[in-house]
Amino acid sequence: MFDLLREIAQSMKHNKLRTSLTGFAVAWGIFMLIVLLGMSKGILNSFNSSMMSQSSNYLLVWGGRTEKAYKGYKEGRSIDLKQGDIDAIDASNTDGVAATTPVKRSSAQLAISTSKDYISGSYSGVYPDMQTIDGIKMIAGRFINQSDINNRRKVMSINKNNAEVLFDSVASAVGQYVKCNGLTFTIIGVYDSEWRSDIYIPYTTARMLASDDNNIDQLTVSLKNINSIEAGERVESDVRLTLAQSRGFDPEDKSAVWIWNRFTQHLQTSEGLNFLNIAIWVIGIFTMLSGIVGVSNIMFVSVKERTHEIGIRRAIGAKPRNILAQIIVESVLLTALFGYIGIFMGILVDEGLGMAFAGQEWIKDPAVDLSIAVQVTIVLITAGALAGIFPAFKALKIKPVEALRTE
Amino acid sequence: MSKIISLKDVNKTYTGVVPLHVLKGINLEIEKGELVSIMGASGSGKSTLLNILGILDNYDSGEYELDGQIIKNLSENKAAELRNRMIGFVFQSFNLINYKNAVENVALPLFYQGISRKKRNALAMEQLDRMGLADRAHHLPGELSGGQKQRVAIARALITNPSIILADEPTGALDSKTSKDVMQIMRNLNEEGMTIVIVTHDPGVGEQTNRIIRISDGVITA
Repeated sequence: MFDLLREIAQSMKHNKLRTSLTGFAVAWGIFMLIVLLGMSKGILNSFNSSMMSQSSNYLLVWGGRTEKAYKGYKEGRSIDLKQGDIDAIDASNTDGVAATTPVKRSSAQLAISTSKDYISGSYSGVYPDMQTIDGIKMIAGRFINQSDINNRRKVMSINKNNAEVLFDSVASAVGQYVKCNGLTFTIIGVYDSEWRSDIYIPYTTARMLASDDNNIDQLTVSLKNINSIEAGERVESDVRLTLAQSRGFDPEDKSAVWIWNRFTQHLQTSEGLNFLNIAIWVIGIFTMLSGIVGVSNIMFVSVKERTHEIGIRRAIGAKPRNILAQIIVESVLLTALFGYIGIFMGILVDEGLGMAFAGQEWIKDPAVDLSIAVQVTIVLITAGALAGIFPAFKALKIKPVEALRTE
Repeated sequence: MSKIISLKDVNKTYTGVVPLHVLKGINLEIEKGELVSIMGASGSGKSTLLNILGILDNYDSGEYELDGQIIKNLSENKAAELRNRMIGFVFQSFNLINYKNAVENVALPLFYQGISRKKRNALAMEQLDRMGLADRAHHLPGELSGGQKQRVAIARALITNPSIILADEPTGALDSKTSKDVMQIMRNLNEEGMTIVIVTHDPGVGEQTNRIIRISDGVITA
């Protein structure tokens, strides 16, 4: 094998210009493929860091207003979620629902202030499980815990940007006090999020602030045993049916309660991203195809030019498979060598783009990873072998008698 | 003396719009250690006979036996292997590979035997030395004179220790002085016991062989 490589290196060196021109076409094709894949990866990363960082196995439910008359009720009646809906959903959907957890928000914008500055916003009264649901990463202190819930503590978790406004630094925020709605809250934790700015307080505290009414602003229904879009949609309509029965509205009335199905949306978005990925592969491979046709063409020319040489080799004892191997391996090496030059350049450009677009929302860390490099290697070797096959069979037709022909 | 080449009633027709019966029942025997020339005008069937002797082409009927081996209906692989081991070719236009240096050219037949680079280059150096070209071993063919090129080609023909040397107009591209040198090498090799068949139309070359086989219009005349 090493000898074969040496033979091929010699014949490639013999035709430097031809080798490098062909190589450029291949390198260019693979370069485009890598840059495109890098960009798509960047878009994918951007999706992942926003939408996809939240757990996807949830339905979010909000109250709405009926659009259809039902059992003597007129349309236009507003449906508010109530405390009792939690147990109703849990009890009648044991197959698909793992747990239901409520969120209670302040009805108006509030000022939250320290001696340094103030922010305005509304709080969200939540249970500890909201940390997983919203994908909250704490950078200081902790999230709301069960003890906060049990004791209706006046504690608060805020995001990094708000912490920086209200206090000198994130590190110094934990344990400090803020004023909100005439009450004093203790900051128990600061979290990092690029786009979420919720102010979290214990659910029970939020309820107490609302004079213990039974209204709920949002229900988060966590799902289990769900693995297809159909199953996700079925649970969604089951939950709607449960609420329709207990609250008396038409189960077909989509605006009576609003349900955001994160699960099916997640699947659809991933399908969309997969499609993007496939589209880029298709574009990239077609770009590369021109390079491959170039290699094939050049191998044809090379075989033609070397007719006499191949005849000599055959006359002095080269078997057909020796000739076949030489042409195909030469084609694969040519494709792979310049392919890797293309990959290298593509990665450089991707890195450059990554730096140029740093901080932009639509693209994040455009770069190809190892698995793509492996996939591209397989593509390159296949492509090289394909490009070499037809010229190689042409070379096989050269008879050893060619050696006797005088040049 | 044992027969090394034996042709019995060998016929060859080239098919085409007008079929061409080129060899019309060739009977030929060459003993081991002979130095013979095959002479004939162009179109006499001389080249076709050379192709068949060199296992470069098939024949239609008859029988060809080379060094005890019947050469008939061989697969491409078998033919390549027999050419490699039994026949040393010397061509009119040398047929060296122009991007390989002298040693690599001489060693090439051994490459197809799967012999290691180190070993085959050592054997190639021996043959070049025998041809008096040890100092030209790393020159490319383009840097060698015609006579030197033909000596490299002869070294290549000898490296597999073949049963016969088959030379096709070995002096055709050389001036008279170098032609003489090359023929001298052929005669020396023959004296060492090598069987040599030279195909030529040059009477001067034919005279220097021990037997002349004349072919005319597809049959052997003398």
